[in-house]
Amino acid sequence: MSDGLAPKAAASNALVRYAPLLFLALAWEAASRLHLVSSLALPPLTDVAQAWVELVQSGELVTNGLSSLYRAEAGLALAIVVGGALGIFMASSRLANAMLGPLVELFYPMPKSALIPVTVLWLGFGDGSKILLIFLGCMLPVTIGAYNGARGSDRHLIWSARSMGAHRLRMIWDVVVPSALPEFLNGVRTALALSFILLVSSELIVSRQGFGYLIGYLGANGSYEAMFAVVLTVAFTGFLADRVFQFVVMVLLRWRE
Amino acid sequence: MSDAAQIIVEDVCHHYRPSVGREVLALENVSLEVREREFLALLGPSGCGKSTLLYLIGGFLPIESGKVLVDDKPVAGPGPDRGIVFQNFALFPWKTVRKNVLYGLERQPLRREEREKRAQAFIDLVGLTGFEESYPSQLSGGMKQRAAIARTLAFDPRMLLMDEPFGALDAQTRSLMQSELLAIWEKTRKTVIFVTHDVHEAVFLAERVAVMSARPGRIKTIVDTRFDKADPEIHRTKMFVDKVDEVWNLVREEAIKALEKRLS
Amino acid sequence: MTNTMHRLAWSTARLLPIVALIVAWEIFARSGAVTPFMLPAPSAVAERIYDDALDGDLFINIAVTLYRALIGFAIATVGGVVLGTAMARNTAARWFFDPIISVGFPMPKIAFLPVIILWLGLYDVSKITMVVLDAIFPVVTATIAGIAGVEKELLWSARNMGAKDREMLWQILLPAALPQILTGLQVALPIALIVVVVTEMQMGGYGLGGAMMQASRFANSRGVFAGIVEIAVIGYALVAAMAVLRRRLLAWHQEAQEGAGV
Repeated sequence: MSDGLAPKAAASNALVRYAPLLFLALAWEAASRLHLVSSLALPPLTDVAQAWVELVQSGELVTNGLSSLYRAEAGLALAIVVGGALGIFMASSRLANAMLGPLVELFYPMPKSALIPVTVLWLGFGDGSKILLIFLGCMLPVTIGAYNGARGSDRHLIWSARSMGAHRLRMIWDVVVPSALPEFLNGVRTALALSFILLVSSELIVSRQGFGYLIGYLGANGSYEAMFAVVLTVAFTGFLADRVFQFVVMVLLRWRE
Repeated sequence: MSDAAQIIVEDVCHHYRPSVGREVLALENVSLEVREREFLALLGPSGCGKSTLLYLIGGFLPIESGKVLVDDKPVAGPGPDRGIVFQNFALFPWKTVRKNVLYGLERQPLRREEREKRAQAFIDLVGLTGFEESYPSQLSGGMKQRAAIARTLAFDPRMLLMDEPFGALDAQTRSLMQSELLAIWEKTRKTVIFVTHDVHEAVFLAERVAVMSARPGRIKTIVDTRFDKADPEIHRTKMFVDKVDEVWNLVREEAIKALEKRLS
Repeated sequence: MTNTMHRLAWSTARLLPIVALIVAWEIFARSGAVTPFMLPAPSAVAERIYDDALDGDLFINIAVTLYRALIGFAIATVGGVVLGTAMARNTAARWFFDPIISVGFPMPKIAFLPVIILWLGLYDVSKITMVVLDAIFPVVTATIAGIAGVEKELLWSARNMGAKDREMLWQILLPAALPQILTGLQVALPIALIVVVVTEMQMGGYGLGGAMMQASRFANSRGVFAGIVEIAVIGYALVAAMAVLRRRLLAWHQEAQEGAGV
């Protein structure tokens, strides 16, 4: 019999767990302030924090951030919807699987970053090219997740549903979708991480707005504290997005032990 | 044949400490003596700690309190003097049957040809001739268990510790394996401690059956089950059936207690 | 149909959709619905690749990209397995690195590229460092999972037969964890390639990424598409090679046995 942990115990557990990060932060500050490393290459953490605050206050961080997130969201949403539909379609039709399967297998190992120049060629430096890039790049993991999930539906569950009177569409909703959900969500999780990578990559190289652009601009200007601030912001945004997603998954899949 | 106690367990207690939840008393003041060359069964309901007791004798778990002596020496860890056979075979999946059997032999001071000969002898003994180069994933359950037994016998341990070795096999294979194990034991005459929850199996295989209580486990009673096992119709003889009844009644009380504990 | 004939027929059938796609692409490109700039025909792209091959550029670029990706991948493999093993067996190592791995994994580490360039300059070192930084995470996670997942009965049997600590690690733990470690490597390899391409695009110079960026700057759409095809082929080849390697190394594993056993 296991007891749930009291909130205080959980909090102190989290503290112990993430303590090494605290040490690293302290080590960073110390190394920089004590000039163990060049404070140009590694500005003190406190200076970085200050630069961060200034960026927020000036609005630069927020504007660029929202622009980036909008692009990532839009591309990802398209990838999930189209990719998911494609995967389920392939799982339910042998013809579709035969025709599309080899194509999916062919394109899956291609490094999606190779699409950056062509999307820029087509849609220029703005939002459109980023959204298209993320859509194309993130689609396949979702497709594969949806496909595997739909294929894995337990035959016996389906038969039980049918014998209890469920007709085909209802059965897909009641049985196939819930049992496909875990694998599908796993594919979405991969796509989420990929969307951030593609977003930052394309913005670093070809953009006039957004997180990646801001990093490049600040770096070129020599404002390294601010540059570090944005780099850390982006990194933690990616981390947070994943954690939030995991939480959502946990809620959706409550029924799993 | 010596009558001296080869394994002495005295007042052993053991706690089970899971990573979440409270610790549980698994064994409470267990005392047991096993004689040399004897075939002893440890029988009891699920959760009674029979496997735990076996692991303590094998040296896989640290001894909290009490004494466990093997050949008058306290147990300090696992070693080739006490060969173990697990329910899930524990064969190294990346090695062939021959390589698996050779693994224990490689740690013995033997010449190369001697090792190969012994390995082949035991593979033949368990009836796996011709499957030396097969991988475990290519074998059936019964064959895997034979390979595991060959592996453990090959390095000639002084005693065999068997943890429900036939539990993962279907009923027919299990029955065949029991007869074969008995035949092998008669030939090699090692000390065997055999853990099981199957009353029939215990009475058929063992010379003595130690019935354990529900958790926390204690040795409840030891029943003598020595008789002529060569008779192929033994399962129908009155003597056998009565013995099974006797043991079953002892176990049944404990099984009910164990079930009530689980439901409460 | 004999087994070989069957396999041949199956492979051909799987190529059909790909061929159909290329044909459709060619027809669509020539149809005039889009400009040759927007969508060059496969024939034009193939011509461009051929030209690149003739003047040697193709091979230099492929070699350079592969070199960076594979070196980075190799370092990530060794480093990842070492770190993962240490974390699986040593509580202190585990405590220290766990939040770093757990927090770092979902981060788009490519965001640190400007920092890496600041520290390490504009040459191969920074590209390879970036690859290692990205590729090491799946290897570490897979190694930890693989080692933690080894059945305790396997370990106990080995100890029972007299195996000592060092033997346990190399003879039992790592072979038993191999399937999962290889899965981690199969995730890390494509990541290495993606990252290498991005770093090359950012920093220019030789390499498939740099070449594509160059073509893009000159609005040379054939060059851009040629680059896509080349990288796609390399990516496919690497993933296929990894799959073959896996089959070889894991010939003994459950999944490799199809329909065998009683």
